[in-house]
Amino acid sequence: MNSLILRKITLITITFCITQFFLNTSYSVEPDEILNNPKYELRARNISKNIRCMVCQNQSIDESNAPLAKDLRILIREKIKEGNKDEEIYAFLTDRYGDFILLKPPLNSKTLFLWLLPIIFLILGAYTIFYHNKKSR
Amino acid sequence: MKNNILILPSIIFFLILSIFLYLLIIDRNPSEIPSNLLNKNTPIFEAKSLFKNEKFISANEFKDEIILVNFFATWCKPCRDEHVYIQRFADEKDLKIIGINYKDNNKKAIKWLEDLGNPYENVLIDKKGKIAIDWGVYGIPETFIINSNGIIMYRNVGPITNKIYKKINLIINKNE
Repeated sequence: MNSLILRKITLITITFCITQFFLNTSYSVEPDEILNNPKYELRARNISKNIRCMVCQNQSIDESNAPLAKDLRILIREKIKEGNKDEEIYAFLTDRYGDFILLKPPLNSKTLFLWLLPIIFLILGAYTIFYHNKKSR
Repeated sequence: MKNNILILPSIIFFLILSIFLYLLIIDRNPSEIPSNLLNKNTPIFEAKSLFKNEKFISANEFKDEIILVNFFATWCKPCRDEHVYIQRFADEKDLKIIGINYKDNNKKAIKWLEDLGNPYENVLIDKKGKIAIDWGVYGIPETFIINSNGIIMYRNVGPITNKIYKKINLIINKNE
């Protein structure tokens, strides 16, 4: 009997974890913001997912409920309707808020170290393991 | 010999650890984001004024003198706290101050300024927060200092405190 309960609990837990894994993002786009043109809306959503909410800082504006995030979502949609390209919208936002507004920092002279650090660590780790094993032998 | 191999990674590890430690110790606010508009021209915009009938055209205004731009709202408690310093800039420094009333009610803003005093030469209305976005504002109150060439010299996020008041004074004196 006990093992049956345990199996049920395990099953529920696994189902819950799997569901959470696939549904771990919540969206804050309100119905009145959504554009009628599905292509435009998809572009707006994709851009919004890459834009940091400057108020909460660890969420994208697509997920954030902050008023500024909503303003920026609306602004992106307006820019798309006006015929702006994605690059132009990103440029508009970074001109005002800097690269910090992008959730993925661009590769430039300031961020070079940040991008290279994992590679440096990988090389160092491989070097240590390689020589350690060689000496052990 | 084995230990020698681990020297380099250990040095790097402690170097990175010291950088993190240094960043923890120094006096800085990690959530404060430096303005991308620093040392750049003021944004170009037009706005309605709360008290004047004429339209505010930024290109005609930000020149020839040092100007302080302050984003505020009546619903923002820190704005009330810093108001005394904004008033001091107007009284003591005879500084031209432009207030930008962010997502507010006009009547409430007029009443607020009547009660607390109006240090602003002009109060602009930013009902939808679009001017704020042009200035890269992300949390009010925010204050900017613009030099006589229309270049943004300084930005402060959050309320002006005594320490910041002194800092702004120094910047103004330097640019006068």
